[in-house]
Amino acid sequence: MRVRNLAGFAALVVIALYGGSGCRKHAEAAKADPLLAAYDSEPDWTDSTKMIPLGYQQAQGKRVFYQYCVWCHADATPAGPSNRSNLTPVPPLLNDGATLNAESDEYMQNIITLGGSALGKSAMMPPYGRTLSAEEIRSVIAFTRAIAQPPYQPPGRPGSQYSAK
Amino acid sequence: MPAEEMGKVTDRMRFVFAVSSLIFLAVLAISPFKDYRREWKQYKRSYLRFAQSRPDTKRLTADYNPNIDQIWLPGMNVVDRCTTCHLGITQASLADKSVPQPFRAHPPIPHNVREWGCTICHRGQGPATEVAEAHESTLAWEQPALPTHFIQASCGTCHQADLPQTPQLAKGRLVLAELNCIGCHRLQGIERPAMLGPDLSSIGTKVSREWIYKWLKEPRTIVDKDGNVTVNGVETEEEPRMPKFRLSETELRALTAYLSVQKAKLLVPYKISPAVVVAWSKNPELISQGELRFRQMFCSTCHSLAVTRAGETKLIGGDIGPELTKVGSKVNPDWLISWLRDPEAYLPHTRMPKYGWSDEDLYKVTQYIATKLVDSDLLTNVPKLDPPSDEEIQTGRRLFTEKGCASCHAIEGLNPQKDFGPDLSALGGKNASDLEFGTAKIPHNLVSYIQAKLQDPVSVNPAARMPQYNWNQADLDAVTTALLSMNGAPPTSALQNLVVPRKEAAFHPTGSFAEVYERYKCYTCHKFNGYGGNLAPDLTYEGSRAQRQWLVEFLKSPQTLRPTLILRMPQLNMSDKDAATLADYLSMVIQHPAVNPAGTDARQFTPAMATLGKQLYEVKYQCQSCHTIGGTGGYVGPNLNNAGGWLTPAWIEAWLKNPQALVPDTIEPRRNFTDDEIKAMTAYLMTLRAGIKPQKTASDFGLPNSALGAGR
Repeated sequence: MRVRNLAGFAALVVIALYGGSGCRKHAEAAKADPLLAAYDSEPDWTDSTKMIPLGYQQAQGKRVFYQYCVWCHADATPAGPSNRSNLTPVPPLLNDGATLNAESDEYMQNIITLGGSALGKSAMMPPYGRTLSAEEIRSVIAFTRAIAQPPYQPPGRPGSQYSAK
Repeated sequence: MPAEEMGKVTDRMRFVFAVSSLIFLAVLAISPFKDYRREWKQYKRSYLRFAQSRPDTKRLTADYNPNIDQIWLPGMNVVDRCTTCHLGITQASLADKSVPQPFRAHPPIPHNVREWGCTICHRGQGPATEVAEAHESTLAWEQPALPTHFIQASCGTCHQADLPQTPQLAKGRLVLAELNCIGCHRLQGIERPAMLGPDLSSIGTKVSREWIYKWLKEPRTIVDKDGNVTVNGVETEEEPRMPKFRLSETELRALTAYLSVQKAKLLVPYKISPAVVVAWSKNPELISQGELRFRQMFCSTCHSLAVTRAGETKLIGGDIGPELTKVGSKVNPDWLISWLRDPEAYLPHTRMPKYGWSDEDLYKVTQYIATKLVDSDLLTNVPKLDPPSDEEIQTGRRLFTEKGCASCHAIEGLNPQKDFGPDLSALGGKNASDLEFGTAKIPHNLVSYIQAKLQDPVSVNPAARMPQYNWNQADLDAVTTALLSMNGAPPTSALQNLVVPRKEAAFHPTGSFAEVYERYKCYTCHKFNGYGGNLAPDLTYEGSRAQRQWLVEFLKSPQTLRPTLILRMPQLNMSDKDAATLADYLSMVIQHPAVNPAGTDARQFTPAMATLGKQLYEVKYQCQSCHTIGGTGGYVGPNLNNAGGWLTPAWIEAWLKNPQALVPDTIEPRRNFTDDEIKAMTAYLMTLRAGIKPQKTASDFGLPNSALGAGR
C-alpha cells in the first residue's frame, strides 16, 4: 500500500514539473550554414572554392568596391581586363593582407578620402571624399579586412572566453 | 465500509492527508522555481554576469531591467520582445564576433533598430519569450525567422523601388521579369509588358515543324561536351527564356502540328537584285565578307555566338536578342531576308532596329548566316513528322492554351486562360500550412518550399504545370528573395504610408524624331528620362554633353569611346537625314537644365591656360591613371583623344565641378578643383582633336562588358 502511494506521489511530482511547459513543438534545428546566416559572400581571391561570409557593412563595401575600386585594385574586373597593369606604381590588390593589414583603419579612411597625394603616395589614387560618404568608405575598409590574405587581425583585446548561459 | 467506522479518522486517512499536503506543497514550490528558471530570465542573469566581465559594465547595464523588454509599434502591429534576451544590440562595444549571442551588437544598418524593432526585417514571432518560439516554426506560429541570406526580402516589402544596398533583391526582381514569370503568375510590383514571348501568329512561315519539335523538347542548343556553357566567362546553366515543358510524344506532335500551320501574315519573299547575286555568288570572298559585315554592324551587341576555345564553350555577345550560333539551321532563308529588312512587319514590339540595308550587304550577311551559323546535327533526334492532320491541329490548339503556351505567346484569334498560374503577389506572407508539400522530404517552411518548387516543380506537386528551369544557385537565391519580399498589401495603413513606390518614367517624343527613334529602337539600349535600356549610355543630357557635328558623325559611323567595351553601338547604316534629325533633337531638346551647351565660350581659352591644364592633367591630378590620350593612359574612363571635337566646353566645366550631378552613378570621383583649374583643364581638353578613327576593338580584350556603359 505504501509503495503504491509513493509511486502516485512521484507521478504527481513529475506531472507538476512538466505541467508548466505547455504545448510546444520543437521545430528542426536551424541550419548551421554560415553563408545562410550571412548577408552576402565573396569568394576567397586566392582560392575561389572558399566563400567568405559578409555582414551587412562588408556587403555594402563589396558593392562600392565593385563599382569604384575594382578597376585598379583587382586583376580581373566585371569588364574583363584590369587597369592595374597600366599603372606605376602598381596599386595593391584589395586582398593583399601583407600590405594592407599593417595600415590602421584611420589611415585607410584618410587615403581613400583625401587621395594618394595628400598622404605622400601616388596622385594616381584619386580622393573619394566628395564622391563616397564616410560610411561608404568605412564599409569598403570593412570589406578589405574581410577578404584579406593573410587574414586581418583587429588590434586590441583578445576575444572574451565568456559564453552565454 | 461498516457504519460504526463512518466519521472515524483512521491512520490510513491521516497518512493520505499528509502525503497530499506534501504533494501540494511541492507543486507550490515548483512553480516559483520554474518561473525563476524561465529561459529569458536565465539570459537576463547571464547578461549581468557577462557585463561584469567587461570593462564598461556601467554603460552596459545602464538600461538593464530584470523584466521583459519590448518594442511596441502600434501603427505597424509590431510587438517585439527580442530585446529581452538580445540585450546588447545597441552597445557599440559588443560588436566584436567574440561576443557571444544573444548579446552581440546589431551591425550598423540604415534603420535604428530601437525604432523599427526586429521582426519587420527578421520575421519570426515578436511577442514570444522563448528561443524556439521566437525563431522557429511552431504549431501556433508558422513564420520562422528569415535566414539572413534572404533578409533583403524584408527590405523589399516596403522599398518597392530598387535600392543599391539590396543587390540580391534587385537581381531577383530582374530575373523574375526577364524569365517572363508574369506570363502565368501575378507578382507584386512587376507589370505585364506588351510582349512576353514572341508572337507566334506566323511562326509557320519562319521555322519548320521539325525545328519546333526540337525546341519544345530541348530549348538549350548550345552546350560543350560536358554539357556546360560559359556566359561572359562565367560557367552557367545557360538559361534560355524559353523553359523546358514536360511534354509527351503525342503532345509534342499536336503542338508542332498546330504551330506549323500558323501563317497569319503570308511571307512575300524579297528578291535580291540578280546583278548582286551574279556578282557575288561565285566569289570565294562571299562568306568572309558576310562575316565581316556581320561584325562591323555589331550584331554581337545584342546577339551572342558560341565560341569553343580549348574545349571550353563560351557565348560571346549580348543577350538582348536570341543567340544565333545555329540560326542558319533554324529559319527559312526567305523569312530571314524579310525579317532583316523590316523586323516590325513580322513581329510587333520587337526590340530589333530596322537597319538600312543594301542588297549587297543583305546577300553577303544572309549567305554567311546560312553557311556558317548552322549545325547539320541539330534535328537528328527529331522523328519523321508527316503533314499535320486536322485532329493533331485541333489537339494542339487546345494544348496551346492548357499548357500555358498562350500565357506568354500570342496567336491571332486565341485567348489565353486568365490567371494561369497561382497568384504570387502575397507569397512572402504565406504560412507553411497554406502550402502543398506533397511527399517532398524538405523542411516545412516557406523558404524550402519556394526553392524546391523552383528547382523541380513536380517535387512538391506531381500535377504541376510549371515548366522546368535550370537555375544556378545565385539566381535561385535571388528569385527566392524577390518572391519572399512580395507580401501583398502592407499589413496596416501606417505601414502603407511608408511604402516607397517604384518610380514611373515616361518619355514620349513627338514629331520626326519620334519616327526615327522608333525605327532604330534607340530605347532598346539607351535611357531617356529614365525610360529605356541600360546597355548603353544614358542619353538624358546628351544635348548638353556632345557637340552636334560629333553626334552626326557618330550616328553615321559609331566608334566606341571606351576601349574595354565590346558591346558597341551597331552600325545602323543611317541616312544623312536620319542622323541629322536625331542630332538636332538630341542637341536642342535633350539637355541638362543647368548645362547650356552654348553657355561657355571656347574663345576665352588661351594657349597659356591650355598649357597649365595639361600640367594639371598630367602631373598634379594624374588623370592618365584612368583616361587615355594618344595611346597612353588607363582604360577606366573614356579616351579623350577627341575631347575637343566631342564634348561641349560647358559640359566639361560642369563635369569637372561635380560629375555625380550630371550622371549620378558615374565612377569618376568628384574633386575639389578651383575654378581656375577647371578653366585651365577645359582649355586643354578642348585642344584635343582627332578624326574619328577605329579604336582597339572588343576582341582585343576578350570579354563583353556592359558594366562601364552607364556613365560613358
